Formats: sequence, structure tokens, C-alpha cells
Amino acid sequence: MSQSERKRFRAVRRIPNYLLLSIVSLFFIGPILWMISGSLKSENEILRYPPTILPEVVRWKNYERVFELQPFARQFLNSVIIMAAVCVLTLVLSVFAGYALARVRPIAAGAVFIVLLSGIFLPPEATIIPLFRFAGKLGWTNTFLPLILFTAVLTTSPIATFVMRQAFLSLPAEFDEAAALDGSGRWRTMLQIYLPLARPSLASVVVLSCWYSWNQFLEPLVYIRSTDLLTVPVALTHYNDPMAGPLWSVQMAATTLSVIPVLLVFFFAQRHVVAGLTAGGLKS
Amino acid sequence: MDSQTQAVAAAPERVRPPRRLAPYRRPRRDAGRNGFGYLLLAPQVVCFTAIGLISLISVAWLSLHQVNVLAGTQTFVGLDNYASIFADPDMKVILPNTFFFVGVLSVAGTIVALALAVLLNQKLPGINIFRSAIFVPALVTMVAWSLVWRFIVQPKGGVDALFALVGVEPLPWLRGSWLTLLVFALIQLTKNVGINVMIFLAALQAVPEELIDAARIDGAGRWGRFRNVVIPQISPSILMVFMLMIVGSFKVFELVLLLTSGGPGVQSSVLSFEIYKQAFQLNDIGYASALAVLLFVIVLALTGLIWQLRKRLVFHESE
Repeated sequence: MSQSERKRFRAVRRIPNYLLLSIVSLFFIGPILWMISGSLKSENEILRYPPTILPEVVRWKNYERVFELQPFARQFLNSVIIMAAVCVLTLVLSVFAGYALARVRPIAAGAVFIVLLSGIFLPPEATIIPLFRFAGKLGWTNTFLPLILFTAVLTTSPIATFVMRQAFLSLPAEFDEAAALDGSGRWRTMLQIYLPLARPSLASVVVLSCWYSWNQFLEPLVYIRSTDLLTVPVALTHYNDPMAGPLWSVQMAATTLSVIPVLLVFFFAQRHVVAGLTAGGLKS
Repeated sequence: MDSQTQAVAAAPERVRPPRRLAPYRRPRRDAGRNGFGYLLLAPQVVCFTAIGLISLISVAWLSLHQVNVLAGTQTFVGLDNYASIFADPDMKVILPNTFFFVGVLSVAGTIVALALAVLLNQKLPGINIFRSAIFVPALVTMVAWSLVWRFIVQPKGGVDALFALVGVEPLPWLRGSWLTLLVFALIQLTKNVGINVMIFLAALQAVPEELIDAARIDGAGRWGRFRNVVIPQISPSILMVFMLMIVGSFKVFELVLLLTSGGPGVQSSVLSFEIYKQAFQLNDIGYASALAVLLFVIVLALTGLIWQLRKRLVFHESE
């Protein structure tokens, strides 16, 4: 068998593989494509049966209506603000705690670690009732505070601490001694020597905390009352006509708008996103 | 500062030999080490235990009360709320539904993720496109994924049209019954399975080639190599994914709320949705708290049970 024949044989043998992969992928990508197609259909066309695959007339106006019916730009910004705050708080808490558990190891660090680890298995539905009552007593309902503080403290930072602990454990302990020999203090050793080396894990923590906050639905649904303060996931569910039910095409347009930025981030930082979500998948 | 530096500087000679025997215990802790450690841990640990512990205690306390939200009063009723959970005929539907998702999502979720990972572990040109495709739903919020699927499974929607192409009559996807539960399970499973696929892909790629080659030389077939070499090697990942799926499977919340509101009746409801409904729609805080305690106990018991069984299930501990 000549070289080129063998090559062709191999290519032919791959066809069923590619076919199977395409069918499987379509199951995951198909709904997204259907959403984009639906977002560009007119209200009449979207109700037609059997449905058209591509819109006959592309209606960009659906995207304008997203912003007319609700302060969607504002709501988008709300989500971003909350996400950024959760992310920063999680980073601070988890870098300190992770470093302490991995490198400083004070007495009883193991017990502390197990307590924090239990946070990963604490379902948010189990604590939402008392947390809502606390928020009410503190005057925090209809503010971003419970969405930032409770989320960061109870959910994202325990997982992030786990990730950062692993990261600092994998770095050689000798740096500690060498730094001390050179006269570096504890804080400086942590922040200037170990922290820069743990950069990939910091990226993971950023991704997982942003992802968790961006996805939250139950919490904003419970804590936020006014339309102006809503986050994107809750806002998406409000594209309804009280008489006629969901405004399908506008809702699909809003949903598409909520998905695109995330896909762009994924496109540019694929490796970090995958690393972050597989670490953060802990609480999917 | 000076004495500290000296202590650390002098430490290597003195500390190294015993350290080999007990790697994690330093015989001489330099002054301030514990203080520094606790200072770093304090913000996280204090906030976590304060908020977490207090909310757990108060949810348990609330579950023993009849709470009147409007009047702002609460009366102690003992275990009445728990008694009414088990007397409530709705719970005979909701609890089995909840366990249906736990069983299906954990077992099927793990198997599907593993199968997809094996499928995607081939060395083919362009394989990364397919890997990304499966990962895309994980990037979308659960609400967006639920809304898109609501659009697809609505009567006379995309799925009905697709089925009509092969001559199948439209099915009542969202009218309760086992079909609705199955649809929910499928939607929930496809959402985050990409994350587990990536965990398995990483594990599969870490299996040493020599082991597989050795098994091939010993005459093991494809399945034999997978069953007897690959599976034991990646068993820690399998256990991890399985546990994560169990914890996650209690969170079929967005789908239930957005697609059926648990209806008709409570036919498609689950425990997490029922907690929300009782607490925030029907204002029965006491009963909802009892349900929340029940949820917490179930999650704790299941994860504890699997953690206990891990030694028998897992070939070697990775940590």
C-alpha cells in the first residue's frame, strides 16, 4: 500500500467518527443555534407550525425591544457589578485562607479545612430562608449586598480556598526558607514570591467565582424586588406579555445577548475557562 | 523580626532529618507562625462559620415553629411541621421525583460524561471544535438554557416538528408524568455534562501509556483494557464526578420553575422548588424550613455514605 493510499484509507475510516461527533455536538449546539434563529423571527413567524429553520425576514427590531421593555443594559451592568464584587471578595478570602492552610499551617489547620470543605455540600436552598430573614433585618433586601456577601462567603470562597490550597501545596517549600534568608517578611513572601507563581490558579478562581455569580437565579429572585436592580437571569424571565404569555422572539433575543459575552470570553481564554469550571464544577 | 529570621535561617539543619519521617509537623514552630496563620484564616473562617452555622441553626429552629409572616409572630409547634411533611400526599410525588433526578442524573450523568470523554479522546484533526461544542452549554446560564428549551419543547415547537418529520405524533412533553421528568433530566444533564467531560478527558490523558501497552501485550482486548486498566486508573475522578452530580442533582430548580412551576399539581415538582414555593410564594416559613432541613439531611447522608464507600469503590486515593 502506497503512502497516499494509506492516507486516503485512514481518511475514509474517520468518516463515521466525524459523523458521530457531529450528531452529538448538534445536540449541544443545536439549542443555541435555534435560539439565535428564533431571536430574529417576527412574532408571527415564530409561532408558525411547522417552524421555519431560518427566519424569512430578519427582524433586528427584536433586539431593540429587549431594551425597550426592560432596562436591560442596566440589568446587565448589575450582573457585572455583582460578579466583579463576588470575584474580588473571593480572591482575597481564598488566597489568604489557602496560603494559610497550605504553607503556614497553624495548629488545627486540618480541622479548619474540613469545616470549609463542608461548605461545598451545603445546598443554597437549605439556608435561603434564614438568610432572607437576616437580610430583611439588616435592611439588605433589594440591595446587592446579600448577593455579594452571602455568595462569596458561603459558596465561592470555600471552593476557591480548596483550589488555592492545592496551588500553594504544589509549590516548593524551599522558597519560604530562601526568602526568609534573604530577609523577606511573611507578608512579602506570600504576596511577592508565592502569589505570582500561583497565577494559573488565580485565573481559575476568577473564572469559577464569576461563573457562579453570573449564573445565580434563586438568590436574586428572592432578594431583589425592583426591576432596575434585577440581574440578567431573572430579567430574562420577565419578557412576558401578561395576556399572551412569553414574547418568544424578544426573549430569545435577550437570551442571545446574555450568552454572547460569555462565549467571547470563552473564545479568548479557553484554557483558563476550562480550568476554572472544572475546578468550579464542584458546585455545578 | 531579626530573631525570627534567624530562627528560620537556622531551621534547615536542625529540622530536616525528622521532617522526612513526619513531613507535616515542624518540631519547632517559629514564634508568630500560628498568629500569622490564624490572621490569614480569620476573615474566611469567621464569616463562613458565623453565616453558615447561624443560618443552619436558625433554619432548624424555624422548622419547629408556625410562622405568621404578616403578623410577625411565631409559635412553637414542636415537630408538627415534620409530621405534616410525612402526612402530605404531595410529598408522595415530590420526594420520589427528587430521588428520580438524583438517581438518573448521578448515574446517567457520570456514564454519559465518561462515554463522551472517551469519544473525544481520539487524536483527530479538529477534535477541539467538538470538545468546545460540548462545553458550550456549560457557559450559558441555567436560566438561559431552560428558556431556550422551553421554547423548543413548547407545544408545536421545534421538537414536535422534528418528531413530525419521522412521523411521530406530538407528545405532551410538559404535562406531568414520567415524560416531563425525563425531559427535565435530559435538559439538566446536557447543561453541565461538558464540565465533567473535561474532568474525565484530563484523567484519561493522564493514564500512563505503558500500562495500556502492557495490557495489550498480555492480550487484553479494547474493552478489557478499558475495564481493567483505564477505569481503575481514573476511578478517583469517577468518584468525584459522581459525588458532584449527586449534590448538583438536588438543584433542578430553574427548569421546574420556568417550564412547569411544578405542575400540573405537583407532578413535576422537586424538593428545592417546593422549599421556594412554600417559603416565598405561600409564606409558610415553618413548613418550608422543615423541608430545607430535610434537604440538608438527605444531601449530608448521601454524600457521607458515598464518602464511606470510597475505599471499596476507588482503586487508589489520588491525594
